[in-house]
Amino acid sequence: MDSIIIIFLTAIIALFAGMSANPLRPLIISIIGLLAAAILFLFQGQYQSPFVKYNILNFGKDELRFSLLCIGLTLTILIAGFDKVRKQKSNAADIMSLLMFSLCGALILIGFSDLSMFFLGLEILSIPLYVLAGSNKENLSSAEAAVKYFFTGSFFTCFLLLGIAFIYGATGTFDLQVMQQLISEGVYSRALLLVGVFLIAASLLFKVGAVPFHFWGPDVYQGSPDNVTAFMASVVKIAMLFTFYKFFSTIFADLFSFWSGLVYIAIVLSLFIGYLGALKQQYYKRLVAYSSITHSAFALFALLNNQSAAAADLFIFTIGYGFSVVALITVSMAGLNEEDKISNLKGIGRKYPIVGMLFVFALLSLTGIPPFTGFFGKTLLFYNVFTAYPLLVLFGLISTAIGGYFYLNLIFTSFSSDATATTIRLKTTHQLVLLLCGFFILSGWLIMLLPA
Amino acid sequence: MELIYIPLILGLLSFLIPASLVRHYGLIGSLALLGIVIAHAATFDPATTHYVLNPNKVFPLGLTFKMGYDGLGLLMLLLTNITLPLILLSNYNRDLARNNVFHALVFFMLFGLNGIFLSLDGMLFYVFWELTLVPILLILFLYGDKNNNPVLFRFFLFTFAGSLAMLMSFFALGRLAGSFDYEALLAVELSPQIATLVMVGFLLAFAVKIPLFPLHSWQPGTYTSSPMAGTMLLSAIMLKMALFGMIKWMIPLCVEVKELTVWTIMILSVIGIVYGAIVAIRQNDIKVLFAYASLSHLGIITAGISVFNVESLFGVSVQMLNHSLLSVGMFLVADILEQRLKSKNLSDMGGIAKLAPSFGFWFAVITLASVSVPFTAGFIGEFIIIYEVFNFDISMGLLSASTLVFGAVFMLRAFQISMFGFPKIDSFKDLTINELAVFLLLGAMILLLGLFPQLLKDFMEPCLNNIVNSINAKPE
Repeated sequence: MDSIIIIFLTAIIALFAGMSANPLRPLIISIIGLLAAAILFLFQGQYQSPFVKYNILNFGKDELRFSLLCIGLTLTILIAGFDKVRKQKSNAADIMSLLMFSLCGALILIGFSDLSMFFLGLEILSIPLYVLAGSNKENLSSAEAAVKYFFTGSFFTCFLLLGIAFIYGATGTFDLQVMQQLISEGVYSRALLLVGVFLIAASLLFKVGAVPFHFWGPDVYQGSPDNVTAFMASVVKIAMLFTFYKFFSTIFADLFSFWSGLVYIAIVLSLFIGYLGALKQQYYKRLVAYSSITHSAFALFALLNNQSAAAADLFIFTIGYGFSVVALITVSMAGLNEEDKISNLKGIGRKYPIVGMLFVFALLSLTGIPPFTGFFGKTLLFYNVFTAYPLLVLFGLISTAIGGYFYLNLIFTSFSSDATATTIRLKTTHQLVLLLCGFFILSGWLIMLLPA
Repeated sequence: MELIYIPLILGLLSFLIPASLVRHYGLIGSLALLGIVIAHAATFDPATTHYVLNPNKVFPLGLTFKMGYDGLGLLMLLLTNITLPLILLSNYNRDLARNNVFHALVFFMLFGLNGIFLSLDGMLFYVFWELTLVPILLILFLYGDKNNNPVLFRFFLFTFAGSLAMLMSFFALGRLAGSFDYEALLAVELSPQIATLVMVGFLLAFAVKIPLFPLHSWQPGTYTSSPMAGTMLLSAIMLKMALFGMIKWMIPLCVEVKELTVWTIMILSVIGIVYGAIVAIRQNDIKVLFAYASLSHLGIITAGISVFNVESLFGVSVQMLNHSLLSVGMFLVADILEQRLKSKNLSDMGGIAKLAPSFGFWFAVITLASVSVPFTAGFIGEFIIIYEVFNFDISMGLLSASTLVFGAVFMLRAFQISMFGFPKIDSFKDLTINELAVFLLLGAMILLLGLFPQLLKDFMEPCLNNIVNSINAKPE
């Protein structure tokens, strides 16, 4: 709670700092604020926080890990996007602040222990994103992305609210702990609850971009400015995935037989539609969008694992996924213009070997090749549902093989020797971010070896 | 452990070495690794398993991080680390000799290979198995022919899909065993249906890498479009990890369906032996010819594996070593011809033995070694294997013995067309010092192994006994 307030205050201070002409100031303020928030999170048990008694947010061990991951990713995105943001002089601080406001929402979503906070978190997360998606005002597709995202997003928020209403009607409480107890004791109205669960599942599937609610993804990811795309694909998705996991694996755990079928179908569809859609893409961010659909499906394997604590598996997976996606979009920031053609990446790896190497790391991690974090995350998720769903794991592996094709294609493109139209503007910030991402992609999986 | 981390460190350091010195660095580094392996071998008790890492703890994902070697593992380590200096030495006066990235990739690949042979944990084995794929793919992509992307896509997708099938098998085994510890995996009792599926998973991974008959289509294109060192790494070293996987992992872990496994491999191998040889006879591109020859030679080895008794596995060990040495020799010959004639086509060659007598002599040595004349290692290996295959099944034995005839036909044909006849060119530069050194070493080792196979036998027999006994002990 304290950390969220700090981030919120930092965002407001950054807005004021934006009055000066120098966009570096809000950036430095943001970085300091985010680091302070992260440190406060680490020491949260050591002091008496004045907000504990309200019992609306609860940051246990898993919540803490995911919060730190989201803060870290936001930090890298702020640094990576700085080069483009500084050119929009008067708006630079606005964009940074909005990203941080949105991060507040993500943290509330991760830590909520009350349905009203859940809804608040979701809105705080989403509303800045609607603005951010359209923040590139000279680009028509950015406006399209904003409108599309706003309409579909608010539509599904209605479903979510309706779902919350049904759940409240079924159990008579907003408090998650009480609700979980009531459900496990069987004190609820079954019909109302199942409708509620169904509606919430639908809206959460929409938010993580899983099939059949994935249509907004490619358009919005492509139209939005790069840093917003990176934020949506990493922080927003990770927060939503964790929320999804928390909701369904803990509170609705006793209804597993009801919703597992729905999730199973969504996973199978996403596994194939995402990667098959990515196969023939000409546009880079569209490709990232399609591949992120399938990565949502991999992450949703965690929901079907009702044997062991899957949050740790999900965490390893999201480290690999989050940092890889940020690395991919950073390459797009450095190497691609508005046109966003994949062929414009030709030869980037030969011109900048270090960038090329880190790009290859990110792609291999997404493909699922050891020793990168993506492999271990995916394998953990697969391995832990294998006994219950061997066929699903088979589908997952087939889809992985399909993904190998276009990820390899990107690797070959980036190291192609006939460099055609490479207009690469590689800045120190980009290199810094790529190195940071490369570090986590290479060594993030070591976290799983730490004693629990 | 030093066999794991030293290649990694060597790989990282090679970025810092000046490009003009990196070839010396690579050779010295690989010789140092060979020294370490020999030191291990000198203090090794053949009947035991020597652990180099054993944390005695199960980590998430069922990882146990157990590493160690028995006689077979040590043989593979020796084979890999003997072949690598030879490859780097053959490469000494090629373009890649002054390339830091190439040497780094080679050492990263060696890191993975040593890891494969040391792993006593299924997931670890898989991790190292996949680790070798990336460096070799980058070597082929960065330094191979410019337009070889379709070939590499095929290579990558075949091997990657095969590996994923193996991962599925490991999942099934690991879930039943509770961890990926080799001993625990061995102890699992599988139902015949599951054992069949697990076996198919392993077979797909290994059959692609070796390659066995229907999955070999990535091979000729990849061999021809690769730089010499890449081809050598693929054929002399990378194939061996699949053979090792069959002996150490696939057959012992799926012993419940041993009959099926054995017959599948046997039939595919025999098809490969005959088919590879027949295709090789008609080839004019010397690298394609050697690729199909390799398919045929490997058929013998896999047929030997499928018999799976102590004698045949000993034959397989000799033949694996022999095949690694020969591949280096054969692809060095092919590359010398290609470099100096600017052509891989047999019809452009002729009379070279007159122009370059030393090269002609060593090509003859390689040819004779590959058709397994007595006193070469191939004679020992092939003779034992074919004898055992005869005992196993007489029709299979007859078919696999055809390799002795066919092998002689395609190798001697290539030798005759290129070396004898009327010279079609004016001059042909004879062997350089490093090439001569490679051939000398190869010849010496092949002869040594052919004359004193007992050296290897004392070393391997206790371990092979253990492997075969452990399978027979388990009820089918």
